[in-house]
Amino acid sequence: MMNWFSHLLSSVVEPFDYAFMQRALLSCTLIGFTNGFLGTFIILRRQALLADALSHSLLPGLAVAAMIVGLSPEGLLLGGLIAALFVALGAQLMARNSRLKEETAVASLYIIAFALGIVLIRFAKVKVDLTHFLFGNILGVGNGDLWIAYGAAFLTLGTLVLFQRPLLLTLFDVAVAQASGVKVRWVETGLLALTVLGLVASLQAVGVLLSLGLLIIPAATAYLLTDSFDRMLWGGAFLGMVCSVGGLFLSFFANIPSGPCIVMLMAVFLGLAYLFSPRYGVLSRLIRGRHYHEESLERWEGHQGHDHQIPEKSQDTRTDKK
Amino acid sequence: MSTPTDQEPMLRIEDLTVSYHRVPAIHHLSLTLDPGHCVGLFGPNGAGKSTLLKSIAGLLKPETGRILIEGITLEKAASLIAYLPQRESVDWDFPVTVRGLVEMGRYHQVGLLGSFSQRDQSAVEEALELFNLTPLGRRQIKELSGGQQQRAFLARAWAQEADLYLLDEPFGGLDRNSATALASALKTLKERGKLLLVSHHSLAEAEPLFDTAILLNGELVACGPTQEALSPRNLECAYGTAIYSGNHHHSS
Repeated sequence: MMNWFSHLLSSVVEPFDYAFMQRALLSCTLIGFTNGFLGTFIILRRQALLADALSHSLLPGLAVAAMIVGLSPEGLLLGGLIAALFVALGAQLMARNSRLKEETAVASLYIIAFALGIVLIRFAKVKVDLTHFLFGNILGVGNGDLWIAYGAAFLTLGTLVLFQRPLLLTLFDVAVAQASGVKVRWVETGLLALTVLGLVASLQAVGVLLSLGLLIIPAATAYLLTDSFDRMLWGGAFLGMVCSVGGLFLSFFANIPSGPCIVMLMAVFLGLAYLFSPRYGVLSRLIRGRHYHEESLERWEGHQGHDHQIPEKSQDTRTDKK
Repeated sequence: MSTPTDQEPMLRIEDLTVSYHRVPAIHHLSLTLDPGHCVGLFGPNGAGKSTLLKSIAGLLKPETGRILIEGITLEKAASLIAYLPQRESVDWDFPVTVRGLVEMGRYHQVGLLGSFSQRDQSAVEEALELFNLTPLGRRQIKELSGGQQQRAFLARAWAQEADLYLLDEPFGGLDRNSATALASALKTLKERGKLLLVSHHSLAEAEPLFDTAILLNGELVACGPTQEALSPRNLECAYGTAIYSGNHHHSS
């Protein structure tokens, strides 16, 4: 028994004898947590699709960076940032001075950028493995990638925690936030920049095509589970971290690329929450059908108890001119 | 009528013109309003009711003129103004409870990272109490009736210690019981010395709800005690003719 346990333990710990595995673990923890945290803001701002577009538009930036400065992580970060901002701002511009709506402009630009990226990568001097770009290669995390992960985590978490209140006001209602003096433009631009940073930071772990997963799925899962903004925030972050680390293990033992492992693990949690969330789960709602009736009854009674103004006359009294 | 502390009216609008893409929606509008009034905003569709409310909320830039709140400019007076969103613009699935919503009203006082002091807490409690929401504090906002939702937003404004309340069609889509409860909530605010500016679609219920009325038709038709402002002659002027389209801007 003891023997069996220690065997299991050593097989779990064993991967971390390797330095690349330690770096991968650290990177997963940081990025999983940070992007899970950021996800809440993206979901509540209803920008999941914009984030998707941005993630695709990273590709040409990466290609250009690879052509100019080679495959250094810093160069990739810069190239990715430029490309993503180009798409985001370009789409805004197109939407403003043509009859195209922003959503259409974003979709067109990002898919063009993606195609351009694939073409450009052919011309990159360095031999670039496209599958690593698309699906990630967590085991190849270098020191430069780690620094980006540290930087992204520090900057993103710091900013979001510091500006949580104005952000919350803006997410909830832009017009009201603006009326109460929040600089809405800054908040929105900042959120966009952090999204790009989060995407770039997660490239090495999950790749261009799956980087959106870390941003959206953990927060979406948390959203199905709670009515509290704080819990959604920290719950999404925690879930993102757990899934990233768990996915890394899966990837190591099953010898599958890390990106799909991480996303599939998150998918399991999302599926469970979708079906069984105590409040908002599809199945739990079916089972609790009766309870909802009771709740509405209680609400009705509560209503009667607190609103004493209910008039006795049930006839619609049209207020006659007095 | 003026407040004892200063001679400035709560709301002063001078020569306000607001345009969308160079087409004016409000023309050279001037008026002043004092605290302790519940003011109805009337006029046909496109008369500029929402535009006026949004301008006062600071959401639209005026083309001419200016708006002063208690003698100070809009940028500095932001925390004195509570703009209540139209129902459609609110995401009712947002993960926030009634209490959380009211707490948002205190963010301005609490600052970026400050924690809620005793005073902030009691302001929240008071707001919930005032609008009969205390037992509903832990409800997610979608689980309220339409009238309760409106009152929750009023409670947030109260916690914010706003003096000027801007409500865009708050009675739209409310059933009669909810409308009655909302009306009494507005009355409470008025009695506490707040100024309420409420756009409203129906002239029939104007009299008991609003002591003052503003009649708009692209420009100001009338502003005064409800019955006078909504006289048949004024109504004919606002509703009977085509909306003033500001052709003089193009005639040069």
